[in-house]
Amino acid sequence: MGMKFTIPSRFVSPLGFLGMLTFVIFIILGITGALLMLWYEPILDRAWDSVENINDTIPFGFHLRNIHYHASNAMVMVALLHMYYQYFSGRYKIRNEILWVTGVILGVLTILEAFTGYDIIFSERAELAISIAASLTNSIPVIGPDMREAFFGGGFSDFILRFYAFHVFWLPIAMLGLMVVHFPRFLVFDVPMVMAFTGAIMITGGVFPVDLGLKFDPNVPPGITVPEWYLTGLYAFLRTMYDKFVTGVLWPGLFIFTLLIIPFVDRYKKFSWKDRPIITAVGITSLAQIIVTTYWGFYIDPDIQKSLLERLVIDPIFFYVVMVLLVPLSFGFTYMMIKLAKNAESKAKAQPKKATGKGPINLPARWVYIIFIGLLIFQIYLNISAYYAVVSGMNNFSLFIIGLMMLVFAGMFHIYRHGRAMEKAPPLLPPKPAIQPKAPSPLPQTSYATTYTVEPSVAEPLAPQQAQKTQPSIGSSQNTKSSSLRTGGNADNSASKQVGASQDTISSTKADNIDKSRNDRAD
Amino acid sequence: MMSQQTPPNLGGKVSRRDFLKLMAAAGTVLTFIPFIDWGKFLPNPTAQVSERAKVELPDGSQANLNSFPVNHAEAVIYPKTDDPTLNSESFRTWQFIRLPEELGGSNNDVSSFRMYSMVCLHLWCLWKYWPEPGRKRGECPCHGSLYDPLTGVAFAGPASLQSPPSNVLPMLDLEADQNGAIWIKPPNWSPNGNGVVGFGRYLKE
Repeated sequence: MGMKFTIPSRFVSPLGFLGMLTFVIFIILGITGALLMLWYEPILDRAWDSVENINDTIPFGFHLRNIHYHASNAMVMVALLHMYYQYFSGRYKIRNEILWVTGVILGVLTILEAFTGYDIIFSERAELAISIAASLTNSIPVIGPDMREAFFGGGFSDFILRFYAFHVFWLPIAMLGLMVVHFPRFLVFDVPMVMAFTGAIMITGGVFPVDLGLKFDPNVPPGITVPEWYLTGLYAFLRTMYDKFVTGVLWPGLFIFTLLIIPFVDRYKKFSWKDRPIITAVGITSLAQIIVTTYWGFYIDPDIQKSLLERLVIDPIFFYVVMVLLVPLSFGFTYMMIKLAKNAESKAKAQPKKATGKGPINLPARWVYIIFIGLLIFQIYLNISAYYAVVSGMNNFSLFIIGLMMLVFAGMFHIYRHGRAMEKAPPLLPPKPAIQPKAPSPLPQTSYATTYTVEPSVAEPLAPQQAQKTQPSIGSSQNTKSSSLRTGGNADNSASKQVGASQDTISSTKADNIDKSRNDRAD
Repeated sequence: MMSQQTPPNLGGKVSRRDFLKLMAAAGTVLTFIPFIDWGKFLPNPTAQVSERAKVELPDGSQANLNSFPVNHAEAVIYPKTDDPTLNSESFRTWQFIRLPEELGGSNNDVSSFRMYSMVCLHLWCLWKYWPEPGRKRGECPCHGSLYDPLTGVAFAGPASLQSPPSNVLPMLDLEADQNGAIWIKPPNWSPNGNGVVGFGRYLKE
């Protein structure tokens, strides 16, 4: 038997789509950004006004700016989730280190891209962000001031032009290059999911339209502002007023470095988070610290009687004690979660596997048409609403409606796909055995019933196997049966070769374990 | 792949699959229709002026029938914005001319005034009106195109050799109020209307 190639089952965990979604959002950002470039002016005294012009005067400028802004947030968020999913499921193993390393660098560039993006508006908040970035670069020992000179230029006028160049050219081009290397071995793509996600971004833009902020005026003291959510964690560290270089450069640098070396530190031979307790605990610790510092960076004492400094400064002792305390807490939490998961696993193993709710939903053909026509009518209604929303100047409402239309499209696509699958199926499901030999059928088109009945067994090949792994005394006949279930075609073959079958399956368990991870690595 | 299941298309009946495909196509079209309108993002909306505007002379005053000298021209910014950079661009500069006496410049109504785009139709230099005796015409400094102040037609030089509408300058329509103050009527930026700056205008019969 040995190694075998497995076709990825049709069902992939929704988390497996995160990498593809990040790329799709990158494309959305590229398109909307390219359009915004037509009106944006990277000039000190005109930048903010040109953004205001886009937002208020140019038709659909509001829409494009909001999609661009919310997509940038979505990209950072989805990239982070993607990273943690890959982290906890151990996907950086078996010669995937390069994907992980390029992924981490891509993540850093994504945040820099988003950061330079919200800086070139040159509002009060942007000015604060630029000055912090410049002063952090300055604080780097020895090379800092020269680096600042080289990357940021001499003053605000240079900053804004250079941040613009970074934002629209240098960073995206570097990201594209890295993406070529980062390109996954298994690419999953799903039109409804992409459309639904695009719709969700538009709806967010319609419900929470981004404001312009106040134009920066060096003669007016700026109000209290906090950076975007992906930087408030760093901001919290800066607000402890401890050394700038340590808090603002060294800590994040250390964090990124730790992420980079993770695949070379993680020597566990297994993939699941349950089987890699220390790595999982480190991941949970980092998540806990990110969440706590992100919230802390946002929080500003609302008591306006106090002085500005008093409200802003975070007590470093309190802060770092919390950071340290989060470590044992996270390790304990991880220990508990692994215990619970293993417990649930053995319980599930004790009971016969019951059919999960993943079976096909059989929608009668008539209902396919009725729902489809209903959605079409709804789409027409939304079209009319979107038109009138734009005509009456309700930009955010029209953006919301167009987002809704994307969602409806996703629904229609689902129904269409279902209708097509039903069409291919014979009118009645013939009573076939659940375990079908998966011999290559002479007809290229497998019948509906076959694909759907075989699939659950293909989708979860590990279930009987994990039982084997933890309980090797289950019996060789059982083993051969489960392995024949997986391989399908040679069921009779392996049954006849009873001698040495158990040895065979034990060796195949390892191989299948790797197979399984390959199978699922659909990023 | 699935051709074998298609029933023969008899009597013009639409098969199930075709109907499904039709609905999918309709749904896709309906979803993307709103984005057609998004094309409005591209043209500059500030070129559209819906109200009449003052003829604002360089000294800041509004041009008046009773005070503007005959056989004289001024550069006027139109459409004027709050942005000095935009105001300084040549596509917003117009030559406001009171015709010489022999062309009817002494009439006390708007018929004695003309307002042409200063962008030469040849290669977009800025021409201007020369009131000296013997000239009394628009002259482009770059390649010597000459423009007739009465109609805006290029009568000599490279611009005159271009085919219509690129041999006639865009022109704005004017009107005067009771006080004699001169206003610019809302323009129609098309070759058949007031013309396209830098491109030209069809001469009306």
